[in-house]
Amino acid sequence: MSLHVRLSRLNLRLGAAPGHAQKIIRTQIRCHHHYELNHFVQRAPAETTAVGSKPGTTSFRLAVKDNFATKDLPTTCASSILAGYSSPFEATIVRQLRDRGAVVVGKTNMDEFGMGSHSTHSSHGPVLNPLSEVPPTSAGGSSGGSAVAVRVGDADIALGTDTGGSIRLPAAYCGVVGYKPSYGMLSRWGVVPYANSLDTVGLFARDATAIENLVFGTKLDEEHDPNDPTSLSTNFRTSHRTRQQQQQQQQQQEKGPIRVGVPLEYNIEELDPLIRTAWSDAANVLSDAGVEIVPVSLPSTRQALAAYYVIAPAEASSNLAKYDGVRYGVRGEESDAAGEVLYSKTRGDGFGDEVKRRILLGSYSLSSEAMDNYFIQAQKVRRLVQRDFDRVFRIENPLYDAQQFDLSDMSDNVRLEDKLGPSQVDFLLCPTAPTFAPRMQDLETQTPVEVYMNDVFTVPASLAGLPAVSIPVTIRSPAPDADESRKVAGLQLIGQYWDDRRLLNMAADLSSRLATSS
Amino acid sequence: MSRIPTRHLGRYLLQGQLPRKGCLASSNYTPRGSCRVAASCSCSRCLQPFSPQATRAVHVSTSSAASPADTPIIPLRKKLKDEAKQLKKESRKNKAQKGSAQTVDGWELTVGIEIHAQLNTSRKLFSPAATSFNDEPNSHVALFDLSIPGSQPLFQPQTLIPALRAALALNCDIQPVSRFDRKHYFWWDQPSGYQITQYYEPLARNGSITLLARDGIAPEDGDSVTVGIQQIQLEQDTAKTLAQPGDARWLDFNRVGVPLIEIITRPEIHHPRTAAVLVRKIQLLLNAVDACVSGMETGGLRADVNVSVRRTGDTATGRLGTRTEVKNLSTIKAVEDAIIAERDRQIAQIEAGGSVVGETRGWTLGSKQTRRLRGKEGEVDYRYMPDPDLGPLLISEDLVRHIKESVAHLPDRELDELVDRYGVSAKDAVSLMALDNGARIEYFYNVVGGLGKRLREAEGRTPQQPLDLELDPDLKKYAPLAANWILHEFGRLVTDRSSPQDDETAFEITPEGQCARVPVASLSELLFHLHQKKITGKVAKELLLALYHGNVGEAGGVTAAIDAHDLWFHELSEEEYGALVESALEGEDRVLKEFGGNKKTYPQGKLMYLVGKMLRLGPTERIDPVNAEKAMRSRIEELCGTSA
Repeated sequence: MSLHVRLSRLNLRLGAAPGHAQKIIRTQIRCHHHYELNHFVQRAPAETTAVGSKPGTTSFRLAVKDNFATKDLPTTCASSILAGYSSPFEATIVRQLRDRGAVVVGKTNMDEFGMGSHSTHSSHGPVLNPLSEVPPTSAGGSSGGSAVAVRVGDADIALGTDTGGSIRLPAAYCGVVGYKPSYGMLSRWGVVPYANSLDTVGLFARDATAIENLVFGTKLDEEHDPNDPTSLSTNFRTSHRTRQQQQQQQQQQEKGPIRVGVPLEYNIEELDPLIRTAWSDAANVLSDAGVEIVPVSLPSTRQALAAYYVIAPAEASSNLAKYDGVRYGVRGEESDAAGEVLYSKTRGDGFGDEVKRRILLGSYSLSSEAMDNYFIQAQKVRRLVQRDFDRVFRIENPLYDAQQFDLSDMSDNVRLEDKLGPSQVDFLLCPTAPTFAPRMQDLETQTPVEVYMNDVFTVPASLAGLPAVSIPVTIRSPAPDADESRKVAGLQLIGQYWDDRRLLNMAADLSSRLATSS
Repeated sequence: MSRIPTRHLGRYLLQGQLPRKGCLASSNYTPRGSCRVAASCSCSRCLQPFSPQATRAVHVSTSSAASPADTPIIPLRKKLKDEAKQLKKESRKNKAQKGSAQTVDGWELTVGIEIHAQLNTSRKLFSPAATSFNDEPNSHVALFDLSIPGSQPLFQPQTLIPALRAALALNCDIQPVSRFDRKHYFWWDQPSGYQITQYYEPLARNGSITLLARDGIAPEDGDSVTVGIQQIQLEQDTAKTLAQPGDARWLDFNRVGVPLIEIITRPEIHHPRTAAVLVRKIQLLLNAVDACVSGMETGGLRADVNVSVRRTGDTATGRLGTRTEVKNLSTIKAVEDAIIAERDRQIAQIEAGGSVVGETRGWTLGSKQTRRLRGKEGEVDYRYMPDPDLGPLLISEDLVRHIKESVAHLPDRELDELVDRYGVSAKDAVSLMALDNGARIEYFYNVVGGLGKRLREAEGRTPQQPLDLELDPDLKKYAPLAANWILHEFGRLVTDRSSPQDDETAFEITPEGQCARVPVASLSELLFHLHQKKITGKVAKELLLALYHGNVGEAGGVTAAIDAHDLWFHELSEEEYGALVESALEGEDRVLKEFGGNKKTYPQGKLMYLVGKMLRLGPTERIDPVNAEKAMRSRIEELCGTSA
């Protein structure tokens, strides 16, 4: 079945669904081009046909985040240090999508090198949320431009990267679907790294089905990239597909219906009451549909955010050491030795404040005196977070040998289902962000740590490399003076490693049930 | 001798391919592996050559701090020039100081060494770009080598083979799991801002190397000394800096990412000479197992030494003195000289009531003192971090076992054979093996083979059988002659003033042991005639010089040249020797008296005086000194009745 047929079917279904979907389309029309959203840093010259696409595919419009290397358009990562930089090669994923009919419509704005939660730390200026013209509102970040491009209809699909929530957060704020696959599924060759061990290439669309069709319908998930040392091998991809199918069949026979866990640790004080209601409504909708809803505990969640903000900046400080202006990028007129240490002038001028902050953070946590207390500790927390997930999921993590979880090692908060231990689930359901999209004005007064708090729900899945998807949900009874950005929130579904296909299925299913129930 | 070149072994082990050179010769042989890579290069991964943008000059004021890690390599020619200059300066300053002892009374020296050696591989450590030496600058550069944003490292498994051979030659335990870490510092020859090395979990640990008296260790170390190898790690080389007039530097990225091994010894060396011998022996070993491309002189090997001293009385506590590091020693002599200088500086410091400060020091070839590069406060925190793109390196026991078998033939065994079977002196054997990166010894084997074949033919023995040289019972009779000529007469050729100055490089011996200037066949022909006493040594030396200058070719070979110029040795007949003896004895009655009676010792000196007179009086080109001596001796016996 060609992608075109699938996409058109999808549009038909969207059009046919009353209420929810039509509302989105109306919103698009209303907010489109009313004011400068600044979501593109470079638009491609108009093209009608896909170049280099395989026969039998139909073209679709693709927006590409500015940290993907593209041959025809500059790749600046929204940083002054790479102003005007043109990559000599193209990212694997961009080529793969072009092969499948993608027409690149432009490069989208972002936080510099992916460091930020609101797409405001950009050398091209901040991205604005199309759902609220006044007051100006965050589109989320760091892949804010890509989320907006999909939201306003400039692209059918958009590429983003998710390091600690950089796809899911803007998807939630802008009311689109954002998908972060399992780490190692989509190639990172040609993606400018922020934190290699966390960076994940992902996709935005208006609908989870569109993503599922693109990734699994065209077998993108089966393509290993020999250029990316972290791309999972072909062998793994084929063998685990069959193994997982067997596991699922067996499990459905033994344990009955799908089970979705609601992680108790995510019900934090800072969670907006309206979003909390939307979360429990969604759980009820699933429950009504015969899905078993159980509370689960992920005790390491509270340390996860801190661990993330140690590991990611540490890797960033290392990755960004290459920008010295010698071989590419912007270089000052003065000597390289100008300033206190070699390249300090070039780097000081070229990087923005948030990037500098994270380089400093990372350099410190890797220094010989801090290494043990920060970097090593954070890696230990990361392992605990991953073990938490493995314990609650019914399917085993294919990357590890089956683990034994001793009840005596478990936190007292973990609720036991029976004497065998806590119940295990297929998916986890939680909000994507604790609040609605913040107002630009409020962001100015927030401390960096307050901003980092936005990532609290998205970071754990990143640390564990698990697939996660954020779907938009309509707020049932918004405040009377609320604008569109207060009428939509993101709900996140997290699955076991390499259980991406079922996860996207589940997301599509939940979306349509939510649409009909509201 | 059959040594399997690393690239062949690598191809065999990793791709199941056998070399098609030699008996299976084919002209356009492309390894299958490289075809595959070429296909994946369509996305311009391999930029050959890279755009001129790559060679942008770096403007740095020369006064800025020295490199936090390895300072760029200075060409040898410049170093030698500096050395000469430095020597002149030093000798003017203090003429009195002469030589340095291996020990200083009351003090104990402790040295540990770190050696960096370029591995003999065809690919870089993390990119499929080719390794090269003196190729067009920036012609072998992949995207990752330049740290182009979005490019990633791709470990090249074939680089493991020479590294494992090196580690096994040094008796190390290969670690089943090792990992790559990033070592951060800014320098223009390091495009990513970090070097990928193995800090936390290295490739190999717990090795050792035994140094023997014949290797030339300090006499104080006795017959042998064993030095522990703490670890061996894989790492990337840096780019080459080409200094330009003014403040500009040009960068050649051909070398960036070339695989190196760093060999770290334990601090178990106590004499400067022994440290130098260790470096030389490791170089020899690496060459012998085909792990290493080139020697120190071409920048293929660099050493850093850690030096500390303590009073002999303090050794009981087991604590070493504060150490300093002398970086970037690029000749074997520099290792010894720098250690002596640093030891003496530290002792002087302590004796003057001061203390040694842990710091990094440098050394100029030929100087007498180390100089301070930076202290603790100037030290860079390398912020070692596991590389998040690279997985662990898992090495199976099978591979280790296979490679272990292939490195069985080590230099110490070869040296024993040269002494025991070939009758070459230990000193000459060491020199033969060390010269021209192992090419000289191959040349030696070739010449000995050719010489032996001719001798057997001359004696009417069947030439087919004794292909195995080492089984020739007469080997000891002629091999030392070949060794002597290939070492000492060759040495004279190069220093000969009449040598052509323009093409020094033309006197080259290939790794297979062939030499265009003095072909194996010509030299074995020449030595054959010499050994058979068909020509004199003097004539042979002149012929060698003529060969070297290319003047023999026109005459159609060595034998033809001897014919053409009638250089054959027509020895005097017995009667003619007798006549010559008589004329030499004329008027020497007083000397003759010395031989009379029953003296305690035979007056050999007097005899040689008379032989010398024979040589002066007679036609030199027809006299064999040995036979002349014989004739004189027997005549004296007749006259005086004395015998030696």
